[in-house]
Amino acid sequence: MATRTLPAGARMALIAAVAVAPLLSDSQYLLSIAVVTLLYAYLALSWNILGGIAGQLSLGHSAYFGLGAYTSTWLFVHLGLSPWLSMWAGAAVAVVAAVVVGLSCMQLRGAYFALATIATAMVLKTLVENADGLLGGPRGMEVTLLRDAPLYFQHTRKEFYYVVALAFTAAAWLINRQILRSRFGYYLAAVRNDQEAALALGVPILRYKMLAAMLSAGLTALGGTFYAQFVLYISPDKVFGSNLGVVIAVVCIIGGRGTLWGPVIGALLLLPGEELSRTVSGGLVGVDMMLYGLLLMLVIRWEPRGLMAIFDRWRERRRVARATELAAAEGAP
Amino acid sequence: MSSTYLQALLSGIASGAIYGLIALGLSLQFGVMKIINFAHGSFLMMAMYVSYALATQAGLHPLLTAPLTAAVLFVVGYACQRWLIDAIYRKEISREPIGVLIFTTGLWIFMDYGFLALVGPDSRSVDSPWANEVLVMGDLIFTYPQLAGLLFAALITAGLVAFLRYTRTGRAIRATGQDREAAGVLGIDSARVYQLSFAIGLGILGVAGALLLPLYPANPFVGDTFGMRAFVIVVLGGIGSVAGAFWGGIIVGVLESVGSQLIPVTYAEALIFLLFLAVMYFRPSGLFGVENE
Repeated sequence: MATRTLPAGARMALIAAVAVAPLLSDSQYLLSIAVVTLLYAYLALSWNILGGIAGQLSLGHSAYFGLGAYTSTWLFVHLGLSPWLSMWAGAAVAVVAAVVVGLSCMQLRGAYFALATIATAMVLKTLVENADGLLGGPRGMEVTLLRDAPLYFQHTRKEFYYVVALAFTAAAWLINRQILRSRFGYYLAAVRNDQEAALALGVPILRYKMLAAMLSAGLTALGGTFYAQFVLYISPDKVFGSNLGVVIAVVCIIGGRGTLWGPVIGALLLLPGEELSRTVSGGLVGVDMMLYGLLLMLVIRWEPRGLMAIFDRWRERRRVARATELAAAEGAP
Repeated sequence: MSSTYLQALLSGIASGAIYGLIALGLSLQFGVMKIINFAHGSFLMMAMYVSYALATQAGLHPLLTAPLTAAVLFVVGYACQRWLIDAIYRKEISREPIGVLIFTTGLWIFMDYGFLALVGPDSRSVDSPWANEVLVMGDLIFTYPQLAGLLFAALITAGLVAFLRYTRTGRAIRATGQDREAAGVLGIDSARVYQLSFAIGLGILGVAGALLLPLYPANPFVGDTFGMRAFVIVVLGGIGSVAGAFWGGIIVGVLESVGSQLIPVTYAEALIFLLFLAVMYFRPSGLFGVENE
């Protein structure tokens, strides 16, 4: 598989668009769409480490997202610990969970692994729903409102969240890039392509899969804290729900899993796409999500390997065109 | 054993049989094509609405709607595989059909919200006197729909097992599931097998939807709960094992029903998934699966 990347021009346009987006409009509504889009880009990038680069189809990343959100929120609400600190506790809990899940599920292949990860998230959701006293049960938890307290990961202006989300996404992107360039990344690619062959070549596949899962889980948990501080309310259904786990994976797969830009492209298409279909449907109940489902089907029908594969095709076509041109020039007298 | 627990056990078996029937089609598709069909729950929801329409508009007996619903869903399944999924399936490079998974996720969202737009969010149940009749045996009470569910689920499972084992077409389906290339060499048209398996899977789901409707009201999102549970059952029973799906359904039904007598009902749900994880750990090929990889 080629290391697919965006053409330089597209990359520049993307970065410029992201940088100036909040300046274009004063609308807090548009800005919050941008924040959510960035959050999903970040989550998809975190997922990409395990689901894309290492090729382990996890559909239960909501487990780690929920653990992050609940841990940091509990520490914040009950002990007054700033989420900037407690988010690391959330990440630590998620990493431990990833090890436990990994020990029991990592032997599973493909669809089995995917279903086991969904089941894990469902178990956690049910447990939290029953923890009435400690975690608020099905009603969830409200985050203590401090209004303008950037030191406590809170602000009334959405610009604050935009900048933080951008920093999160950039960090996750850099981590992905570093992995793709490192020996670790090559090991993971070997695991993805052929586990038996990798094992035969002496790659300790279980250890590398575990490392990928831990990193992926920890980053996802930080996203959970961000969500809690942005929305200021969490509930088992919202942060542990199987829908979320599937959506995180879908964003990355639609963009192109295992690629550096795929998760970002996927989020840029799907999240504003969801918002747009809400506007287009004119408030008709259900029609917005119908359009969203249709968008998913059309994209995957058109390019099952994800949008990044389209750039590959363009590049390939250009290469072929150039080669035939050259051949024609040589053939001419 | 007190009669409360016996009642819970037997009711669990009855509802578990329908869970198993719901999972049956999924198991067939999963086993033959190795695809994760996330739209399975939505197709169940569709089946329940078809049955509902037949029962209320045409005034049919709830049980009589079952064969008609099955026929409708059979056609839907055939068309769906032939004109939607097949093209994506063919483009897959790996043996892990991610594209189909995403496609059916889109289909799932599309159908659930499509029905929400079409028929509204209200729950609908059939109002038939038959649905409320009960059979009393000593301390034990069963409703007719429960008994019908158990009977027909067992019959259909047995029928499908026999079909796969003893007919030419059934053997072709099994062969394709085991090794697509080898089956192709032997002259089996895999595209046809896939269309047929998908259609049969949805046809059975049609019966399941009709049997479920008197027990559980239909709403646009009814498939979410039952769909997710069907996945658990399929893997629990062992992928590709049709009888396994049936027994897996019964285990889940009993666990849920007896479990909720012992612990709060919300924990009973977690019990199902915990059992699932335990089975995955100790017996990754499922309780009734054969280890062939």
